[in-house]
Amino acid sequence: MNPSKKSFIKRKFGGDAGWGYIFIAVALVVFALFTAYPVASAFIISFQDYKPLGSTFIGLDNYTETFKDALFWRSIRTTIVYTILTVPVALLLSFAVAILILPLKKWMQTTFKAVYYLPAVASGVALSVVWLWIFDPMESGIFNKLIGLFGIGNQNWLGSSSTAMFSLVFMAWLSSHGTSIIIYLAALLGIDTSYYEAADLDGASFLQKLRYIVIPCLKPTTLFLLVTGVIGSFQVFQNAYLMTGGGPDNATTMVGLLIFNNAFKYFEFGKAAAQSLVLAAFIAIVALLQFKFFGKEVEY
Amino acid sequence: MSLYKNYPDRSKGKLFRNGTIVVLLLLFALATIFPIYFMIISSLGDPVEAGAMNYSLFPSKISFASYKFFFDYSEYSLRWLFNSLIVAGSVMLSNVVFASMAGYAFSKIDFKGRSFLFTLLLVAMMIPYQVTQVPLYILIVNVFDLQNTYSALIVPGLVTVYNIFLAKQFMSSIPKEIIESAKMEGCSQFQIYVRIILPLSKTVLAVMAILTFMDSWNTFFWPFLVTNTMDMQTIQVGLKNFRFANTTYFAPMMAGATISALPMFVLFFSLQRYFLEGVTVGAVKG
Amino acid sequence: MKTKSRVLASVLALGLSVTTLAACSSNNGDNGGASNAGGNANAGGASGAKDTITALLPPVSPTYQDNFEQMAKDFNAANPNLTLKIEPASWEDMTQKLDTQVNAGSPPDIAFIGSDGISKYVQQGMLMDIKDAATSDMIADYDPAPMEYMKNGDGIYGFPAYMEAHALGGNKEFLEKAGIDYKSVQKNGWTYDEFREAIKKGVVKEGDKTSRYGFVFATAGVASKDYLNILVKNAGMPNAFTTDNKYAYTSKNFLEVLKDIRQLIDDGSMPKELSSVDAGKRWNMFLTGQTMITGKGLATFENSANKNNEKIDANDGSAVKGSIKADYIVLPVPSFLGQPAVTTVAVDGYVTFRGKKEPTAEHKANVVKAAYFLASGKVAATTNNDLFVAHITKTGRTAAESMTVNRNPDNVAAVSTLLSHAAPARPDIPVELGAKAIKLEDEVMIPKLQALLAGELKPEDMYDALKKAAIDAFGEDGVVKD
Repeated sequence: MNPSKKSFIKRKFGGDAGWGYIFIAVALVVFALFTAYPVASAFIISFQDYKPLGSTFIGLDNYTETFKDALFWRSIRTTIVYTILTVPVALLLSFAVAILILPLKKWMQTTFKAVYYLPAVASGVALSVVWLWIFDPMESGIFNKLIGLFGIGNQNWLGSSSTAMFSLVFMAWLSSHGTSIIIYLAALLGIDTSYYEAADLDGASFLQKLRYIVIPCLKPTTLFLLVTGVIGSFQVFQNAYLMTGGGPDNATTMVGLLIFNNAFKYFEFGKAAAQSLVLAAFIAIVALLQFKFFGKEVEY
Repeated sequence: MSLYKNYPDRSKGKLFRNGTIVVLLLLFALATIFPIYFMIISSLGDPVEAGAMNYSLFPSKISFASYKFFFDYSEYSLRWLFNSLIVAGSVMLSNVVFASMAGYAFSKIDFKGRSFLFTLLLVAMMIPYQVTQVPLYILIVNVFDLQNTYSALIVPGLVTVYNIFLAKQFMSSIPKEIIESAKMEGCSQFQIYVRIILPLSKTVLAVMAILTFMDSWNTFFWPFLVTNTMDMQTIQVGLKNFRFANTTYFAPMMAGATISALPMFVLFFSLQRYFLEGVTVGAVKG
Repeated sequence: MKTKSRVLASVLALGLSVTTLAACSSNNGDNGGASNAGGNANAGGASGAKDTITALLPPVSPTYQDNFEQMAKDFNAANPNLTLKIEPASWEDMTQKLDTQVNAGSPPDIAFIGSDGISKYVQQGMLMDIKDAATSDMIADYDPAPMEYMKNGDGIYGFPAYMEAHALGGNKEFLEKAGIDYKSVQKNGWTYDEFREAIKKGVVKEGDKTSRYGFVFATAGVASKDYLNILVKNAGMPNAFTTDNKYAYTSKNFLEVLKDIRQLIDDGSMPKELSSVDAGKRWNMFLTGQTMITGKGLATFENSANKNNEKIDANDGSAVKGSIKADYIVLPVPSFLGQPAVTTVAVDGYVTFRGKKEPTAEHKANVVKAAYFLASGKVAATTNNDLFVAHITKTGRTAAESMTVNRNPDNVAAVSTLLSHAAPARPDIPVELGAKAIKLEDEVMIPKLQALLAGELKPEDMYDALKKAAIDAFGEDGVVKD
C-alpha cells in the first residue's frame, strides 16, 4: 500500500514472495472461479443481445442505451443521495456506540452488543413487514402515534415522495449498524494499551486520547467500513423493493432495482450487465477517493 | 490504563459517567430492538394470514401454535436447520483460515503484483450480483453439475473478498517489529502466521467467524437456486415456503425468523469471550 | 349452496379420473428417447422408456404443497415409466429461480406461473409449444376462455389451472346499512356514479375523524397497478392494446378514470393515505370494520372472513384485534363512461419449457402428460376448491362433485356472472409490443400512479407523461388518439 515502505520490506523479507503467493493461492483460485469468471462473462454479455439459445453481438448498443436512459441517471442520483444519507451516519453512530460501550462492565458490554447486533441476525423480509407496520400511514401507525405526541399530524410515510426516502434512510439508521459496531469494538480492543499509558503520563484528556490515539488507530477499520458500506449501499435494493416498490414517482428507485428489473423482469440481460459495469465504475471511483483520504497506513 | 479516565471503584464520578452512558445506550437500544420485539410478539400469535394479524404492541393471547406449525409444516424443518449448520459452519471455517492467510499476505508480505491483485479483488466486489448470478449458476449447475449438493452451497463462498479485506485492514496495524524479530529468530512465514499473526488477530477472527456464519446462515437466494429437493434446502429457503399467494402466514413466518435467529445468538454468546478480550501486543513483544 | 358429499358421486368421480388418466396414457404410445432417467425405480410394467419430468411449483393453495408426494405417486402409478419430480418454491421467489434457470438455458419442464408471463419467455425462445403434443381430448377438457390465455401467436404453451376473477368485496351488514341493494349489484353491476354515491354513504365519521371508509384498495408499491388495471378494463380498455394493436392508454377515457381515482379520495370515501395501504392493511381494515368495501377481492377472502367469524364466536382472544363479524360479499367493479363491464381475470397454469436442446417428441409427450395430470381431474379439483375458485375442466368439475365447499351461494353466482364477461385473452399481441408495454407500465405508469394516489400529481399531468412516453415507445401511429 505504502510505496515508501515497499523497498524496506523487500530488503528485510527478500525471500518471502513465495510465501505470499502460497498464502493467497486458495483465495485466488476461489476468486478466479466464482467471481472473476462470472464477471468476465458479464463483461462479454454486456456487448450482446443475450438469449439463452444463442446471443448476438451488438457492439456498444447496451452502453449507449444506458447512457441515454434518463431513469438510469436518476436512479444513480437517488442511490448517491441514499448512500450519503445512510453510510456516514451509520458509521458515526456505530463509532459512538462502540466508544460508549467500552467503559461498561463485561456483562453490560455483551448485552448491548447482542442487542445492537440483533437486527442483523433477523431475516430482512420478516423485518420489512414490521417496518411496514411502523410506517403505517393511518393514525394507528406506530410512527404516526409517536409524532402525534408532539402535535404533528399524520404522515403518509412510504406513500409520499417527500417522506419515502427519509423513511428508508431512517430504517437504515436503526438497522444497519450491528456489524459496524462489532467491527469497531474489535478494533478498539486491538489498540495497544501502552499508547494510553503513555498518554496518561502526559496527562492527556479523554478527547485528546480520542483524537490522537483512537481515531488514527481506527483508520484502517474506518476505511474498511466505509468502502464496504458504500459498495453495499450502491447495490442495495431489497428494502426499496419491499417497502416502496421504488415509488412514488421513482423517488426511491435505486439503481440496483433497475438492474434487477432489466435482468429478470424484461430479460434484457445484456443491458443489465452494461449498467452493472457502469455502476461498478462509479463505485470504483468513489472507493478510490476514499482510499486517497483514508488509505495512508498508520505509522507506529 | 485505558481510553477512559480511571475512577476508583464506586466513586460518584464513575457512577455518573456510566449511568449517563447506559441511559444513552438504552434509548438507542430500544429503537433498535423494537422491530425484533415485534417480530417475537407476533410469532406468538395464531398462525393466520398477514391481513388478519393483530396490529398491537402487546399480545392479546400467547400461543406457541406457530412454532408447532413450523415444525409440523414440514418433516424437513429440522433437516433444514441441520443443512444450514453444515453450510454455514464450513463456510465460516474456510473463511477464517483462508481469508486470514490472504489478509496476512496482502498486508505484510511483499510480493510482485500484490496491489494489483488486491485492487482486482476489490473491483470485482463492486459488480452487483444480479449479473454475475446467471454465469455462476451456469458454472455450478451446467458445467460442474453440482446442483442439489452441499458443494454447490458451500464452494462459491469458501473465501470472500469482504473477509480478505477485513483481515488485511486489521493486520495492517500489527507492528512490523514483531514480525521482524520473529524473522531474526528464524521463524518461517508459516510459523509467523500460526504463532504470531493468528493469536494477535483472534479478535478480528472471532468477528469474521460470526459475521461469516451469520451471512451464510441468512443467505436465501443462492441455496434456493441450486437446491431442488426439500431435504437439501437450508432453513432460509424452507422458511420462505410459508409465504402463500397474496398473503403470508404471518405468525409462523415470524416464528421461523425467530427460530432461525436463535443459533446466531448461541454462537454470539459463545464467541463473545474473544470479542471482549483486548489483545495486548505489548505482551507478545516483551 | 352446500354441496353435500355423496358416496355414489365420489366413486363415480374417482372412476372417471382414473379412466381419464388411463386413456391419456394410452393415447400417446411413448417409447425411446428419454432424457435423464429418474432415480426411483418404476413399479409395474413400463409401457415406454423411462423419463423424468421436473416441475417447479409454488404453494398454489394452502394444502397444495402437502400433496406433492401423493401427486408424484399417483402420476407414477398411472404412468409407470415416468417420474414426476416436483420442486417446491414460494410465490415471490419462484419467478426469480425460474428466470435464472431460463437465462442459464436449463429451466424445469413445467412451471406454475401466471399466463401474463408467457410472452416474456416466448421472446426468450424457451417455451415449448405443445400444440402438436396435446391430444384433442385434453384440449376439449378445458373451457375455451382460460385456454386462450395459454396461447401466444399460434402456439399453446401449457394448460390453465384456474381463471380467477379480480373483484371487490363488501361487508354485508354495512352494505345493508348504507341502503345498497348488493344482490342487484351482483347481478346487474353498477356504474361509477352509482358506486361513488354508494361508498359515500358507507363513510362513518366521529367528529372530523373517519372511523369507517366506504372503499379501500391495496395500492402500496407495485400493487397500485392492480387497482388501475381493474378499473380501466371497465372503461372501454379491456387490454393495454386495442384490437388493431395500438396502445390504448392514451385514450381520453384513461384520463377520465385517473380523474375518478382522485375524486374518490378527495370525496373522503377512500383514505388520503391510500398510496401506502398494502394488502395486509386493507384486509385488517375490512375485518375491523374500518371499511365497507375492499379490493382487490379474491374468492378465498370469503373463507378468511368466515374463519375470523368463528374465532370471534369462540372468544378465545385469537380473532383479529378489534375485529367484528363480517359476511364477505363479492361485488363487481363499477363501469365507467357507459362502457361495458369487463372482469379482470388472472389465469395461472402449468407452462411447459424447453432446454437448450430441442426436446424429442417422446419427451414432449411425457411433459404434456404430466402437465395435463396436474391441470385436470382430481388434482385440479382439490386445488381449486381449496382456493374457492371455479373449475375450468370437465374432469375437474366431475371430480369436485364429491367435495364439500362452504360458500355463500350469492357469491358463487356473482363470480360466475363476473366470469361470463371476463376480459378475453390476447395471444395476438406481438411479444415485442407486450414487452414495451410492461416496461412502460413499470417505469412510467406505476410511479406516476403512486404520485397521483399520494396527491402529488394531477391526473392531467400523469396522463400527459404517460402519453409522451407511449408515443416515444410506439410512435405517433402506434397509440390511440381520440
